[in-house]
Amino acid sequence: MPNVVYFSEEALLAGIRRDDGTAVAYLYKQHYPMVLHFVLSNNGTEDEAKDIYQEAIILFIEKIRDESLELNCLIKTYLYSVCRRLWLKRLALKSRFGGAVSESDSFVDVADDIDDLVEREATFTKMAEALTLVGEPCKTLLEDFYIQDLSMQAITEKFGYTNADNTKNQKYKCLLRLKKLFFNLYKTEVERE
Amino acid sequence: MKELEAFKQIENYFNDQLSPEELTLFKERLKTDPDFAEYYRQYQQIDGTLRFYSRRKALKEEIHTIHRQMEAVPEEALLTERKVITPFGDKQKRKIFWNQHYATIAVAASVAILTVFGTLMSIDVWRSMGKQQNARYTALRREVEKIKNSQRAIAKDISGVSNPRAARPVPANFSGTGFAISSDGYLVTSYHVVKDADSVFIENRAGQRYRVKNIYRDQAHDLAILKIDDAGFSSFGSLPYAFKSELSDLGERVYTLGFPREDMVFGEGSVSSRTGFEGDTTSYQISIPLNPGNSGGPLLDSQGNLIGVISGQQLDQQGASFAVKSDYLKQLVEQLSQDSLEAPIKLSRRNYLAGASRPEQLKKIKDYVFIVKVYNN
Repeated sequence: MPNVVYFSEEALLAGIRRDDGTAVAYLYKQHYPMVLHFVLSNNGTEDEAKDIYQEAIILFIEKIRDESLELNCLIKTYLYSVCRRLWLKRLALKSRFGGAVSESDSFVDVADDIDDLVEREATFTKMAEALTLVGEPCKTLLEDFYIQDLSMQAITEKFGYTNADNTKNQKYKCLLRLKKLFFNLYKTEVERE
Repeated sequence: MKELEAFKQIENYFNDQLSPEELTLFKERLKTDPDFAEYYRQYQQIDGTLRFYSRRKALKEEIHTIHRQMEAVPEEALLTERKVITPFGDKQKRKIFWNQHYATIAVAASVAILTVFGTLMSIDVWRSMGKQQNARYTALRREVEKIKNSQRAIAKDISGVSNPRAARPVPANFSGTGFAISSDGYLVTSYHVVKDADSVFIENRAGQRYRVKNIYRDQAHDLAILKIDDAGFSSFGSLPYAFKSELSDLGERVYTLGFPREDMVFGEGSVSSRTGFEGDTTSYQISIPLNPGNSGGPLLDSQGNLIGVISGQQLDQQGASFAVKSDYLKQLVEQLSQDSLEAPIKLSRRNYLAGASRPEQLKKIKDYVFIVKVYNN
């Protein structure tokens, strides 16, 4: 990995949009100590710091990539604010320290982003669940197609189908099953609420 | 099967694999067929979610890798750092301890500080309260206003007292009242008037000044016997009043003469109690309005018997003044006569005042009441 220094936040954001691994690594390493310090000084552990920091970073990168984030402050401030909210929520769940934290930085209001984050996380978990439920070979097939980005031809060969059309048909069947499972999970979630 | 076909078509639509005719048909169907529209929506959602899922999964893995890489380096750094042992123990541990307990420590420290200062302050307040209690009783010697006197001296200078040798009255520091107890030059006044005196002079209304040499003090009863030692003095003549040994009755009319200012002032009242300040049995409580300078004045009853010596008053109570009983004066005189003096003091026994009207009595007494001037530097 070349040792690139990003001198401006603009350049860093552009790197992240470009899907540049160096930019992501740079961003990640740059702000981790701050969050680590914040969580440690507010009755947290290193693992907890890592968890919430990764949640925040993932949300940030996703939002930057799909252009749904209008950043009005420093990246550092944004990340700190998100981590702060997340940590407050965790503390409230632990209900030990009543959610009072000692601030180590300035922060901005990120309530909407937090809702977004929670929703994305929920969708992600449900999709993972649905994929497990759909079973083999559908799971592998869909993953190959969507995640590994393999071509129809490659998948056909891998699974030993006679031709690409067959594979396609198989894929649609799997997709329909997955859809059913996913929406069922969604529905139960709604009913539970 | 209908659903599957629909999905196929929708995917082809998204991949731009539809011919122009098919595309028109597709759009038409999307508008007219509600089931198809619903499939379209579902396809979009599931496809979008799957793409989102795959992207996020990839990102998560990327992040995990970064974190592991990052941890790999500082782990060594941390290890080397932890080996450093300062004289104050593990720095990391101390930091965590401090972070966890600093609030408690701060509270404890403030409580300690508050307690210390609170205690000091309350002790101080308590002490000053004690002082106030002492101050409730005030001795009635008069602190002469120096400014007034020095002004008078200056005025005299200007008005042409040219002879510098002419005796110029030096202003006294304190003054009180005293009265004669025997014809051969013994007087009595209050102990507090003459305490720490360097020199004492007595002066009567006519302006005659005598120097006092010997002072016999009785601090316990607040009495002092003065002896005139002056070439110009021969005798007082016979005293008009007599000394009473018995206790006076409650409500008996009494009066005094004194020098609260430069001139003699008469005060009248009655015996309010046979005990004095805080139950002191050696003095009376009397209801005569008194001022600083009255101390040492004679207290006489309507028959002209001397029954006490004015000593002080209670500050926080109106009209509560005190006088030492004459019995104790007599005891003091007797003791002095036996122990210290060459010739005993002869207290006058005869009362020339009985039956006379008050102004007549005063006329006779006034020559035996003196202003006691005390000098100390």
